[in-house]
Amino acid sequence: MSRALAARLLPVGLLVVAIVFPLLVDNPYLVSVAVTAFVIAIAVYGLDVLLGYTGQLSLAHAGFFGVGGYTIGILTADHGFNFWTALPLALGLTVVLAHLIGLAALRTRHDYFAIFTLAVGVMIVIIIDRWEEVTGGTDGLIGIPPPPPIGPLRFDTLTAQYYLVLAFLVFTIYVVWALMHSLVGRTFLAVRNSEDLARAVGIDAGRTYQLSFVISAALAGLGGALYAVFLGYIGPAMGNVQMTFMMLVYLMIGGVASLAGPLVGTLLVMGLMQALSAFNEYQMMVLGPILVVVIIFFPHGLAGQARRLLSRP
Amino acid sequence: MTLFLQQLVNGVALGSVYSLVALGLTLVYGVLKVPNFAHGALYMAGAYVAFVMLTSLGSGYVVAIVAAVAVVALLGAVMEWVVFRPLEGKSPVHAMIAALGVLFFLEGTADVIWGADFRQVPTPLDGVVSMAGINITEQRLLVVVAAVVTMLALYWLLKRTLIGMSIEAMAQDREGALLVGIDTRRVALVTFALSGVLAAIAGSLIAPLVLVFPTMGAVIVLKAFVIVILGGMGSVPGAIVGGYLLALAETMAGTYVAFAFSELIAFAMLVLVLVVRPTGLFAKGV
Amino acid sequence: MGLPVQRTAAWLRAALPLTLALSLAGCGEGSAGADGLEVVPIGFVGPLSGGAAYYGRNVQRGIQMAADEIAESGGFEVEGRRVRFEIVSMDDRYLPYETATAVRRLLQQRRPSVIFVPHAGGIRAVQEININEPKFLLAAYSSEPSILEAENPLTVMLPPRFDGYQEPFVDVMMGRFGQRLGLIPTTTAYGRAWTERVTAEWRRRGGTVGGDHGVDYNTTTDFTGAVSRALADRPDVLFVGGPSQPTALVIRAAREQGFRGGFLVMDQAKFEEMVTIVPMSALEGSIGVYPQEDYPTAGTPFFVESYYGRYGEDFQVPTSEVAITYQAVHLLARAMQLAGTTSDPEAIRARVGEAARGMPEELRIFETDGVTDQGHLVRAVYAAHILNGEFVVVEIPVPAGSVVH
Repeated sequence: MSRALAARLLPVGLLVVAIVFPLLVDNPYLVSVAVTAFVIAIAVYGLDVLLGYTGQLSLAHAGFFGVGGYTIGILTADHGFNFWTALPLALGLTVVLAHLIGLAALRTRHDYFAIFTLAVGVMIVIIIDRWEEVTGGTDGLIGIPPPPPIGPLRFDTLTAQYYLVLAFLVFTIYVVWALMHSLVGRTFLAVRNSEDLARAVGIDAGRTYQLSFVISAALAGLGGALYAVFLGYIGPAMGNVQMTFMMLVYLMIGGVASLAGPLVGTLLVMGLMQALSAFNEYQMMVLGPILVVVIIFFPHGLAGQARRLLSRP
Repeated sequence: MTLFLQQLVNGVALGSVYSLVALGLTLVYGVLKVPNFAHGALYMAGAYVAFVMLTSLGSGYVVAIVAAVAVVALLGAVMEWVVFRPLEGKSPVHAMIAALGVLFFLEGTADVIWGADFRQVPTPLDGVVSMAGINITEQRLLVVVAAVVTMLALYWLLKRTLIGMSIEAMAQDREGALLVGIDTRRVALVTFALSGVLAAIAGSLIAPLVLVFPTMGAVIVLKAFVIVILGGMGSVPGAIVGGYLLALAETMAGTYVAFAFSELIAFAMLVLVLVVRPTGLFAKGV
Repeated sequence: MGLPVQRTAAWLRAALPLTLALSLAGCGEGSAGADGLEVVPIGFVGPLSGGAAYYGRNVQRGIQMAADEIAESGGFEVEGRRVRFEIVSMDDRYLPYETATAVRRLLQQRRPSVIFVPHAGGIRAVQEININEPKFLLAAYSSEPSILEAENPLTVMLPPRFDGYQEPFVDVMMGRFGQRLGLIPTTTAYGRAWTERVTAEWRRRGGTVGGDHGVDYNTTTDFTGAVSRALADRPDVLFVGGPSQPTALVIRAAREQGFRGGFLVMDQAKFEEMVTIVPMSALEGSIGVYPQEDYPTAGTPFFVESYYGRYGEDFQVPTSEVAITYQAVHLLARAMQLAGTTSDPEAIRARVGEAARGMPEELRIFETDGVTDQGHLVRAVYAAHILNGEFVVVEIPVPAGSVVH
């Protein structure tokens, strides 16, 4: 009884902690680290929708993060749109692009799919980099305005932006939760566990992968858009393969196919990287072996490990 | 016409390096189904070993290449033993992520040891050969010749030696290889070492022509992936042909269209080919 | 069966280490002077790891060197207090969002009144922050004039603008080698901005310009293809440039393929770094920024002596990144003295021009002459033309229309 109750109260408790966090710490640096981590976590949830629930790794993920960010950046900084009108357009473009790429990319699976999307990701960045008139090239774009107020709600302070990003994060987690508890979510897991078996029971595997890919990219686009607006600046580095690799590290360490994994991994690794920033030189040297150990011994990450410990009688 | 011939020569020199890098990648993929993202780091390691041998230790160039080959072959074998053997039987995506971890580690280590600065490796061959208005440096000529010799040696190894034939057998049918009594673990180890040998030869040959730095393998490994997929993952002739084709395509497109776009070519080719034939151009049916 | 999709109870366990990490990250430091001098923190946020670390460390070295000198000489006086600087560095791995985060962190921990940032992307991200409380002066190390367009009242742009070089460079090179220009620059936005200007100037003077055969210097393995293509147009002068070392490779490839003309070298590449890769003879006829070690000013010998005295005779040559930031820190100390405050960025900024004009001889590594309304530090700039293996001075005029005060 108490365990079931605790399981229900915990997310509520954590949400309360998240809500009072900026009021308690009164530290713009920590709040801005949290905002960045939340924004990236949204994209990491996207990565998990595809990798965790359908077993495909898209290395174009940061590419879609970039598409979302650049679309909203270009529309708001150069064309007079505001955040609220530009956001649906940014998501729309990401979805359309992901749908078209998915039609081609999903003719392949697993490692071929990963390499195909790697090529797509590289191309997205090269295009952003070379299409200077629109994207600002290697310099990027500055002056992306914060969201305009809705009624009495203003979004031009760090704290306000924190709550906005938190709201989007909660929304993302809810969407992923709802998805996984729906029939669609079960078909995702079915194709992941065995594509042949899924087909045998009448699941359209192609459509399932396509849907998962598009949802995944949409979350990347949402994260990218918020990232651009929060930072006020975008550059091509936000879309590159290294960014995808980092998101993958967050996801694997946090744990795939778990609702807590993406958030835990992102907060933990980004937090540690900030705390140990004096040792930045050694960062990759340490992160690499950690990733290998996680893959070999804890393929379900921290969240998976915690779940295992807790479910032991 | 002179320009065309000159670019043909330039393309062949570049293609030799592409092919050598792609060969190691394709062997590992063929035998173990591991898409080894860390392969570019092996190439980088080969270049750094040559750098240390030639500068700090003052050895000759041939000794430097041999040392690079030995060190990186060992590195490849250790990688198989420590990282990929425990992942046997897991999905290729797991192996891929583990390979990323290895890549981070090797690049990070090089960064800590040598710093991110560009290093320059001296070459004993600094002359230029000119014929009918076409120029090629002696070092590039060496790259082309050494690549051909390496490819012939690899061919001999795969077709005429027991271990080579085991590699081929395992690439074609893992269970079958196991059934006829091939020690698959030993073959896996040797294949990884062999891929290290090929990467080290490429890295130490090209080192005097380029700059040596921790992430020098990042771009070339992406291109090697493209080559390997175009040529069919696991196909040795495919990797060789694909390497030269990609280099020539890049050089010619640069010459007659624009060099700023030649970096796009590899990736555009990959996307096109996979759209038309999701298993690659020369792939045997699965 | 499959995996259970989630179990919410896993949240808490997994969240604990995070709390630890964040609280670790928040640890502040005190600021007391052990040597009796008041310690004033100065921030540096730039690449200290990754591919651009070499560049970042050069910039950092100049800042640190000046701060050490000031401390060793007993500090400087502000309103009766003896003051020294402490340089607080943060790594941003050359990523603008990391720059913004690191700056917020610096402000939280030490509240410096001046922060150095050495790349245009980071500078722009910081220009969104530095005018809000707590305010601080942004010492911007980038020759990109667009950082001035923000009209940010608390930015001081340190290096010379890149758009002053093209006229004199074209003048010298066209006169010496001929009318045909070939292009193999790097394809970064900075490289393209340079290419546009140099092309326009070359054409304005009646020369012809070949096709743009630029390549990305950071990702290209082999430059021979691009060089062969550019040389097929038989240029008299080749425009090249990007980071020094790849630029040297382009020059080497051109010489190997028989090019005998001159190189017009973008200011990003430095001759003193290129000569570690190609012999001086390969650079014959080139024009580019003057090597810092021999910069034709009164302060240079003092600076060079102090540099080698501090780091050893065998240490890498001092580049302009070191010299410019070194001088800037001394200049800021003077501006603080004049303003009578170490903490009010607006007051300090108001005295930068005056400080720039009054630098003593041993610090006149650059002949600084005030600051423009937009915040650009104005200085006399010298370029080098290589003639018979010697560097010949070419004066670069101050861009027209600069308002100096």
